[in-house]
Amino acid sequence: MSETPPTKRLDHRLPERFVPTINYDLCRVCRRCVNDCSYQALEFRESRVVPSGGCVACGRCIAICPASCIEIRPVPPQFAPHGNWSERSRRSILAQASSGGVLLSSCGADDPNPAIFDDLLLDAAQVTNPSIDPLREPVETVTYLGRRPGRLEVYDGKVIVREDDTPLIRMDMPLMFGHISLGSISYNAQKALFMAAKELNIVAGSGEGGLHPDFYQYADRICSEVASGRFGIKPEYLKGVAAVEIKIGQGAKPGHGGHLPGEKVTTMISETRMIPLGTDALSPYPHHDIYSIEDLAQLISVLKESTEYRLPVGVKIAAVHNVGAIASGLVRAGADFLTVDGFKGGTGAAPRVIRDHAGLPVEVAIAAVDRRLTQEGLRNRVTVCAGGGIRSSADMIKALALGADVVMVSTSAMVAMGCRVCQQCHRGLCSWGIATQRDDLTARLDPNLAAARIVRLFRAWNEELKEVLGAMGIDAVESLVGNRDRLRYRGPNPKIAEVMNVKHIGEGWG
Amino acid sequence: MNDRTDREGRADRLGRPVRAENYTASRPPGWQGQPGGCGIASCISLKGGRIGGDRISRMLTIMEERENGLGAGYACYGLFPERRDQYCLQFFFDDEEGKRDVENFLDGRLDIAHDEKVFIQESSTIAPPYPLVWRYFADVPENREWRGERGLGEEDYLVELVQHINEKIPKAFCVSSGKDMAVFKGNGYSYEIADLYDLGRYSGTMWLSHSRFPTNSPAWWAGAHPLSLLDWGVCHNGEITSYGVNRKLVEMNGYRCTVLTDTEVVTYLWDLLVRRNQLPVEVAAFAMAPSTFQEISLLPAAERRLAEWLRITYKEAFLNGPFSIIVGRSRPDISLIALADRKKLRPMIAGLSPDEDVVYCASEESAIRIVEPDARTWAPGAGNPLIAVAGKGLVRRGTEPSFQGVSV
Repeated sequence: MSETPPTKRLDHRLPERFVPTINYDLCRVCRRCVNDCSYQALEFRESRVVPSGGCVACGRCIAICPASCIEIRPVPPQFAPHGNWSERSRRSILAQASSGGVLLSSCGADDPNPAIFDDLLLDAAQVTNPSIDPLREPVETVTYLGRRPGRLEVYDGKVIVREDDTPLIRMDMPLMFGHISLGSISYNAQKALFMAAKELNIVAGSGEGGLHPDFYQYADRICSEVASGRFGIKPEYLKGVAAVEIKIGQGAKPGHGGHLPGEKVTTMISETRMIPLGTDALSPYPHHDIYSIEDLAQLISVLKESTEYRLPVGVKIAAVHNVGAIASGLVRAGADFLTVDGFKGGTGAAPRVIRDHAGLPVEVAIAAVDRRLTQEGLRNRVTVCAGGGIRSSADMIKALALGADVVMVSTSAMVAMGCRVCQQCHRGLCSWGIATQRDDLTARLDPNLAAARIVRLFRAWNEELKEVLGAMGIDAVESLVGNRDRLRYRGPNPKIAEVMNVKHIGEGWG
Repeated sequence: MNDRTDREGRADRLGRPVRAENYTASRPPGWQGQPGGCGIASCISLKGGRIGGDRISRMLTIMEERENGLGAGYACYGLFPERRDQYCLQFFFDDEEGKRDVENFLDGRLDIAHDEKVFIQESSTIAPPYPLVWRYFADVPENREWRGERGLGEEDYLVELVQHINEKIPKAFCVSSGKDMAVFKGNGYSYEIADLYDLGRYSGTMWLSHSRFPTNSPAWWAGAHPLSLLDWGVCHNGEITSYGVNRKLVEMNGYRCTVLTDTEVVTYLWDLLVRRNQLPVEVAAFAMAPSTFQEISLLPAAERRLAEWLRITYKEAFLNGPFSIIVGRSRPDISLIALADRKKLRPMIAGLSPDEDVVYCASEESAIRIVEPDARTWAPGAGNPLIAVAGKGLVRRGTEPSFQGVSV
């Protein structure tokens, strides 16, 4: 079929979603907003600043305006109302009909499905047991990550401790930063995460992009990720770090690999990832040496062997429907810890169809993994980490009570640095200097200030954790992990409660 | 006017009639565990002498504010000197049918040497019906098999049988299954239970006892304390806030929770840690009531390593929340273990008779003074076990530094 050029070209331009609105009574015409807007959504024309389209509501202009005269207004619906054909669905169709491509997005799934976390209520102590004030009495949040022996051996009345057999990492709170690679975020952003992890005495994931030599100083708080692309894996990457983690999948894109476009592969990225300058960094969907569980067992042994059994080796999987059985396979394959990433987890770029439609909510996944590992008598051997959409200390506490030993956070750490969750990471234009490799943009992020903000946030979360533990009459966090008796479900679907083995509100003890 | 004209004349402090709900061996439908306060008392003769049942019932009943008539019980150790090497399985049966089913089940699985009805007074202020209480003295046969498994040790085999009965056989509940010991409990005030079983007719080297103040009814005969498995007997005053976590550990190790109370889980934890994992008793106590990591960091190196790994390995055995427990066992020696939680949020006081023969532990000093006015008393520390062993003496007072006496 021969293409006939359209007689009149119709550019199906989509209506704007946000408009920066300037109060001209207050504007000093300093043009800082124009200069700072990496999306070029503002321009200076005829002696004043005017919107020029493409605003993503990243909020940079609001934050830097010295006159506080900018307000970002969502554009009211521009489509004829329809109960089934939402604006979102029509926008997607129009965009896809124009580009013909797979729609990309970033950050966690943004559809309005409510989080199950919001349907869970916490318990507190009254009368029959006393609550504890964490400011007066010790309430402990120390958490260990790694394999546990299950029991201690006794010879001749003497308890034998073989601490060399099972390397463990001690952390001051049941929290870790997820894997965000150098490449998906900037040098300064990753530096801030590592500095904060060190200061908080927790662990931060390296992401799959290797480890910049400047960051070796934080190695004892870094969990090195071995992903399917094997970027940047060299002796320094594996030795001296806190732990090694094999990435099988990511909650935002289960079954998917990774793609860092060539234009982001700068000299620094190319050196750190050990790939040629300017080439696309493609992580295959599966590890091409792992097509089955026994292959994973081999890679785990290889990593343990090469790190001389001094590091815990973990495996990260996306929460998928059969997550319980898979988790049990991971433990049997030798994983010392496992990380379950729920479908609301963040990403720097993912196909929208996968991000929004594949996987399992982390709440259900944690409960399923905890139950399965318990049934198989393996739960007291491994550390279970879980994340994907943890927005608050309340989510963290509920994840612990559902059965996670350690809660993984990423987006909330980035929000602490400045991210406004505008979901444009995949474009590399982050105006906050976080998800970008453009030097002028990354220079906007001061790693010291960003680290301080992250530290303050998570210290506060940890204080809130202690408050809740104390209110429940629990004085150490390990007594909350998997303690689903202290949760009740109040949502619309009691089947979810049943699957999670959480009682409904109104039901008592037992 | 308070209505005290109830059929049995029993009333609580509000004057409401206290009625037993008639759940004896069978678990009440929809039964869920229930928190509550309790009184506990115990005594042991260090020289292995015999203590009469009237002594322990006086100790327990004096603490009358700690109970509300919904459950009390006693356990006696060193009870059957003539049959000390046979397991004594003591049952509640709702009726003859439950008894028949249990006997059919045990037929061929245990060698029953002797069985007898446990004495029950004909009349009592406790609302009837009472369960039929029966005991069997049994040996475990050499060639035993449970679900195709032949290599089971005697005790593991017995645990399987008892748990099977309690889980699967209706109208029957095995309340104790240890050697040289038995449990006497039920749904009434402490003095009523003592009268019902006529405890004065028994004497033993050690007694444990417990009275309840549950926060809601119904009460259940088999749910009263002491909870027992093999020779372990546990009386517990408290509410374990980590129940869900602890339950996971015991279930992972094959225990099946049938009573659905935290005390049951505590009983299984002792069995798991001490009998199966062979931890020394005091080490098991430190696993259940561990020091804080801050305190652990101050210990000498070898002890620090043990304390840290104990806590990491057995974090699911950590009993959080307020509790004080007294634990008994008859093997290898008749021993009393008393332990309070690591903040000591429930009371526990210990005493020693002037002749240094009898050690007492109780919730209140009154319980000790009523039977031993001149006892020397002291308070065991938070998370610090008291251990008294017949024939060996007071091994630990509960005031020593952590891990003292533990070989590391």
